[in-house]
Amino acid sequence: MSYWNRVLHDARRREAYTKFVRTQDAGLGAFLEFDPARRLDPPLAEHADPGDVSYAGSVSRARSRGAAAGGETPESALAGVPFAVKDNIAVAGFNLTCASRILEELQSPYTATAVRRMEAAGARVVGKTNLDEFGMGSSTDNSALGVTHNPYDHTRVAGGSSGGSAAAVAAGLVPVALGSDTGGSVRQPASFCGVYGLKPTYGAVSRYGLVAFASSLDVVGVCARELSPLQAVFNVIRGLDERDHTSQEPVSGPSAKVSVVGVLTGLQGLDPAVRAAYERTVEYLQGLGYALREVELSTLKYVVPAYYTIATAEASANLARYNGVRYGLRPERAENPDELVRIARDEGLGPEVKLRILLGTYVLRSGFQDQYYLRAQRIRTAIRNELARAFDNVQAILTPTVPVLPFAHGEGELTAFQQKLADIFTATASLAGIPALSVPCESTTGGLPVGMQLLAPAFAEERLFAVAGRLAEAAGERGLVARPENYPPLPDWAAAKGYELDWS
Amino acid sequence: MENEELRVTAELAEIGLSESELQSLGVAVSELVRYFATMMEADLEELEPTTHALMAHNRTRADEPSAEPEATAESLLENAPELEDRFIVIPNVL
Repeated sequence: MSYWNRVLHDARRREAYTKFVRTQDAGLGAFLEFDPARRLDPPLAEHADPGDVSYAGSVSRARSRGAAAGGETPESALAGVPFAVKDNIAVAGFNLTCASRILEELQSPYTATAVRRMEAAGARVVGKTNLDEFGMGSSTDNSALGVTHNPYDHTRVAGGSSGGSAAAVAAGLVPVALGSDTGGSVRQPASFCGVYGLKPTYGAVSRYGLVAFASSLDVVGVCARELSPLQAVFNVIRGLDERDHTSQEPVSGPSAKVSVVGVLTGLQGLDPAVRAAYERTVEYLQGLGYALREVELSTLKYVVPAYYTIATAEASANLARYNGVRYGLRPERAENPDELVRIARDEGLGPEVKLRILLGTYVLRSGFQDQYYLRAQRIRTAIRNELARAFDNVQAILTPTVPVLPFAHGEGELTAFQQKLADIFTATASLAGIPALSVPCESTTGGLPVGMQLLAPAFAEERLFAVAGRLAEAAGERGLVARPENYPPLPDWAAAKGYELDWS
Repeated sequence: MENEELRVTAELAEIGLSESELQSLGVAVSELVRYFATMMEADLEELEPTTHALMAHNRTRADEPSAEPEATAESLLENAPELEDRFIVIPNVL
């Protein structure tokens, strides 16, 4: 983490840091709100909650885990460290827009458990990041509130839906950021922006304070440039929270040791650069001493239709709450309450969100449920079974994160439908509920980053970190993916601007 | 999908669609529904549906207010578009 726990330390450093982020983000668009002073000293009420087992429990658990590992405790690693939060995760004092017109003015009245746990470990929220409206998209172009670019090439997207979080980390504006991942929304932008992106096991991290999109798939995830802070964040935010009844303590059992890695056979439809990167990573793993074993996933072709059936069905129910009555955008005039709701939703929701609500409503209509929703859920069972069988023989599986490279803004290179098809590898892990990590593996000759995805059985996140750690070690100082040009680290930028500050 | 089908679906979803939206969204919805139909080929005999990937059982907490409630009634009311005292105002239901 080096200089990161110093940047909020005193007024001079905060001033330099604030200028740095405002200057660098002006052309990038990662943040919807940025104010490092706002939660520098959170009101005591948020911390002094003796009845809140989630809060106190996370600190003591983090401490004992850190001590057991014999190293730095996670909370000391995060002390004073700034972090960004995707704007569909609640942080009191900031807005909670979900990048939607309908919630543009919404002030969050409370703070998500994952954020509270980060702050309890000493980290501080500095801002809220852009996303595809309600997390629906693969480009962040579906944000109603701003455009986010890829730090490696401003004509290209940062990915999505956690595009703002990934871009902020890639540009060095924060060392870590929280995002949400329903079908790949942390891993895909992490891959496009050359950073790590973790989707934990479903239920490993509390969803309390995460605005619901598809409740059986949603998880809070983490983006980071380096592996160790990503692990520190995961260790702090995970664990049981009585405010989310799907949250769980990690199930003990799966060992962290990886000796055999599964590689996919019969991969189709990959961009040549992604295919080459996949093959090189496989060779790399072999060179590191891992045994490889071919894995065939015959259910892969059903992943995307099953995922979109389930995700849109759940979204249509979850988003029914936005009606402009108690909060959110309300039309100037309406003849009656029904009209008020229809106008609020028509004016407040963007086209992609409407599309998914309509689809979800359609697949749940009486007469169609067996054909679509129930069928998708049975495919989900087939996918889980097939992955469980694969994990009998291998401890982890390597796939590309995304079959395509970061694409240009708009639909010129990849239509909205093709963007959905590209969720194939990430949505596989989402449907099975298993953990997955996108690892920045290499850069193309054109300088675009390519990520690879590691999968492990439920609650075996340590295996992902172990393999990713070996890959990073082997790459050495150079790292696997170079930093984007024009986005120097804060100390270099500050020195060039004449700030005489010691960041060590 | 027929326009009429889409209209009924939009009504159920409480979304008012303009004519141009009916056109553009109609194309996109139809494209995806056709794509969803590829699931029909899958052999799923004797497979139970998965509703939640990893939920072992329902867990409830005590039905008691938190010692330190985070969101107060006041902070929630502050987000309401229109208030009269502590009541949220909507158009007449008549």
